[in-house]
Amino acid sequence: MSRRDFFRASGLVAAGAVGGPALLGGLAKARAASPAKPAWDSRFSACDMCFNKCGLIARVENGVATKLDPNPKFLKSRGMLCARGNAGLAQVYDPDRLKHPLLRKGARGEGKWQRIPWDEALDMAALKMAEVREKYTPCGHLFTAGSDLQSQFVGRFAEVYGSFNVTSHESLCLVSGSRAFLDTFGEVPFADVLNSRYIMMVGANRFEALVTPDSIDLMTAIRENGCKLVTLDPRYTKTAALSHEWYPVRPGTDMAFMLALAHVIINEKLYDPQWIADKTFGMEQLTAHVRRYTPGFAAEQCGIPAEDIARMARELAAAAPASMVYPGRRTSDYEDSTQIRRSFAIVNGLLGNWDKPGGLLAARQVGLKGVPFDAPWYDENREDRIDAGKVPMMFEHEGSFVVTRDAVLADDPYPIRGWFIYKTNPMGTAPNRRKTMEMMNKMDFVTVVDIAMSDTAWMADLVLPSPSYLERKDPCSGLQGSVACACVVKRDPVIDPLYESRPLFEIMKGIADRMELGEFFDFTIDEYREKQTRDIPEALAVMDRDGVYYNPSKVYGIYEGRIYKTLSKKVELYNQRYEQMGLDPLPNYTPPAPPPDNRFRMVIGRNAMITQSSTANNTLLHQFLPTNTLWLNTEAAGRLGIQDGDLVEVASPVGSQELRAEVTDRIRPDTVFMLSGYNTLSTMQHLSHGNGASINELLDDDFDAITGNASMHTTFVSVTRKVA
Amino acid sequence: MAQQLAMVIDAAKCIDCKGCVAACKVANNVPEGQFRNWIKHAGLRAVPGISDRTARFQPGACMHCEIPTCVAACPTGATYKDHDTGEVVIDQALCIGCGNCIPACPYQARYRNEITRKADKCNYCPERRAAGLQPACVDTCPTKARVFGDINDPTSAAGALFLKNKERLTRVAAKTNTLPNMYYLGDPGPGDWGGEAVVPASMVAMKESAPFIKGMVALSGLGVLAMLGRQLFAGSDHKEDSDAR
Repeated sequence: MSRRDFFRASGLVAAGAVGGPALLGGLAKARAASPAKPAWDSRFSACDMCFNKCGLIARVENGVATKLDPNPKFLKSRGMLCARGNAGLAQVYDPDRLKHPLLRKGARGEGKWQRIPWDEALDMAALKMAEVREKYTPCGHLFTAGSDLQSQFVGRFAEVYGSFNVTSHESLCLVSGSRAFLDTFGEVPFADVLNSRYIMMVGANRFEALVTPDSIDLMTAIRENGCKLVTLDPRYTKTAALSHEWYPVRPGTDMAFMLALAHVIINEKLYDPQWIADKTFGMEQLTAHVRRYTPGFAAEQCGIPAEDIARMARELAAAAPASMVYPGRRTSDYEDSTQIRRSFAIVNGLLGNWDKPGGLLAARQVGLKGVPFDAPWYDENREDRIDAGKVPMMFEHEGSFVVTRDAVLADDPYPIRGWFIYKTNPMGTAPNRRKTMEMMNKMDFVTVVDIAMSDTAWMADLVLPSPSYLERKDPCSGLQGSVACACVVKRDPVIDPLYESRPLFEIMKGIADRMELGEFFDFTIDEYREKQTRDIPEALAVMDRDGVYYNPSKVYGIYEGRIYKTLSKKVELYNQRYEQMGLDPLPNYTPPAPPPDNRFRMVIGRNAMITQSSTANNTLLHQFLPTNTLWLNTEAAGRLGIQDGDLVEVASPVGSQELRAEVTDRIRPDTVFMLSGYNTLSTMQHLSHGNGASINELLDDDFDAITGNASMHTTFVSVTRKVA
Repeated sequence: MAQQLAMVIDAAKCIDCKGCVAACKVANNVPEGQFRNWIKHAGLRAVPGISDRTARFQPGACMHCEIPTCVAACPTGATYKDHDTGEVVIDQALCIGCGNCIPACPYQARYRNEITRKADKCNYCPERRAAGLQPACVDTCPTKARVFGDINDPTSAAGALFLKNKERLTRVAAKTNTLPNMYYLGDPGPGDWGGEAVVPASMVAMKESAPFIKGMVALSGLGVLAMLGRQLFAGSDHKEDSDAR
């Protein structure tokens, strides 16, 4: 007889002993009742807590979303939802959410707002945009949008309004990497992590900075398929911890390492000569170029033993073509980041892994079509973007945020006085926050559409509340990921919109109507989706059924019998276009400046619970990461008299911040690290406001010379203990 | 054979993304700052070069033990082992929030829910299972490190994994061995954190005296029966009471 059975048998005695009649009812029950099936509706959506758009199923009870679960049929995310995805509800039901249109009352950034009705808000936005266009031409207005299924409507609006000044978040993230691979292979590849046998993870942290399906496939590959993982990172990240080998590479020396890999592969003839002859251009030049980049040379630069570099080159080559230097995403690191990533691409070229299992894959057919339109012509318009000509190979659709910002501040070559921003937060993501603030102050009128009072919204004139991803109807979007899929997703509202929020599409439509541009927004999202899916008419119904539509397109061998979109129509180890433009056709290594005495190189990076600046105020994620800390090496901390948990002041040429030190062996002695998203100015983000330190306040705003990608690893900081 | 619901976990697959912890909190309305499950770390030594491959992120939660010391510590019978499913269950209607069970768990799997003021821990998400879903942590896990099910059923994913790896499965070795029903494939990583079950002396005394009390109850029951029998068969001595009416 168990204790419980005993109490049940001797019911009254026990109840009397422990507390009295209130318990009698409970004791009479034979067992805790087995729970009934919950009365929830299950509705498909796609996550929006980062850029990955993982498939989810929302459980909705009485109009309230109570749980988000992974969609098991969603192959891109491998049927998972991470912590951020699970924390989506904390974002949707965040009491800090914007509830109605707000018009700035006090000084910019003072935080005095007046609630106004939607009609008045849209009238005002349209009036101010018309004024800017009148006074400064259409290009006098800047449009900025983050990565979202509705962001395309910002681009569409800008085009019909007449401005080609459109920027995105990408130039603060990955454009240099995209440029480098595009200029080597003719397109930006996907990595077939799942089938790879050897992965060189350099400058990426895939187990913390989650990218689906790569992060998940990486674990399957190393755990179940015997793939070897080698990580180079100045920090001992979780990826480093789970790797077969980790080297705390000296920041900024990745290119020396890559060129040494190329040196060994070429010197020892470890490549496939047939592939090199048939598919690549510039092997001769590359051979000559890498002659001087010996493993010994690289070892001196990057601090990794020469014999290890040579061994890794041999191992990579032995596993080729099912081996790779992982392309990575965030490539915003140095002023030569495009050339650094070119060195990555070149090693992949030597491995001959393009378009093959375990290597780099070409884009597949998703099946979606664009919805074209004829934008009006404006005679008075400027000749080019404000950031044009400052760097040679910018991506037109992404622009360069830091170059644009400098141009706006200098009115060079022309003034910009209006700014419309949707779902991105340059105040919280761009380096040198003070400059962004100055840029704001330069504007006649700034309109921000967001779900929360980000720091960018905080500095705006007009703030318009938008519904979250669970409350709105979005156009279709095509997604790809490794070998997982080429698929189409859409979002339908799983709950009614909260407060007075209105989707961006309706805001754009409302402003367009008031500016006599209504004809360009004369459709519904449903009609738009039908146009997008005109080649795959079954897709919408399939998405209603499964939450996702797959296009059964070819995965490997897409380039069989096809030419590469480069000048030589081959994989360009040696880039002819760069040569014509006076750029280095092969990457030349320049050693990074060593940190001056008593200073540290500041590096940035991700955590699985961080999406730039948009998650530090999330009540659920806050419980995992209540604040950010400064990672400081034990030895360096000892030298500075800093103990774990001490308050320190971190100062750079552009600003200073205070936060707690995390004294650790998991970072190089010459390097410090902190997470982004904390210490917001906006008091309407009550968890992140005044909490920890803002990295944007510290980072200097240098940029990549080829693409204008911000270079986030070129700032040196001093660290001093604050006397409490 | 009765069911034994359990988790079979490949700790080597865990990337410490906290997806399981977040999913659990949302699914079970776990109050702010409290957690039903966790991920522990071990072997994370930043040594450059070739790794000794001992780094592990070890997911855990209530282990629904064979010998649940929490059950022994519960004065009301609110916590019990369901012998049909092998789960250790808290009957919320019976829990008085005394907190005895919290130190009684050598794995710190229990806490007092700040809102309900009662004992709380992993319950394998019964509502979700009723809807045909996996527990929230298992469902959401990116690398599917957590596998859940009846380990006595060889056709279940957990059962198959359990049987296939029987010899190499390990458990967290607490100072008080409760035979936890959470199994790790191969090296589970941190193994030194399981503590000692602290069961209050009064509960121990109660447990010791239970047969005696049971005997007493049985004796008093017999007494009542004897009196009843006497009443039935021997009839009443007080005939005048009824006659008086």
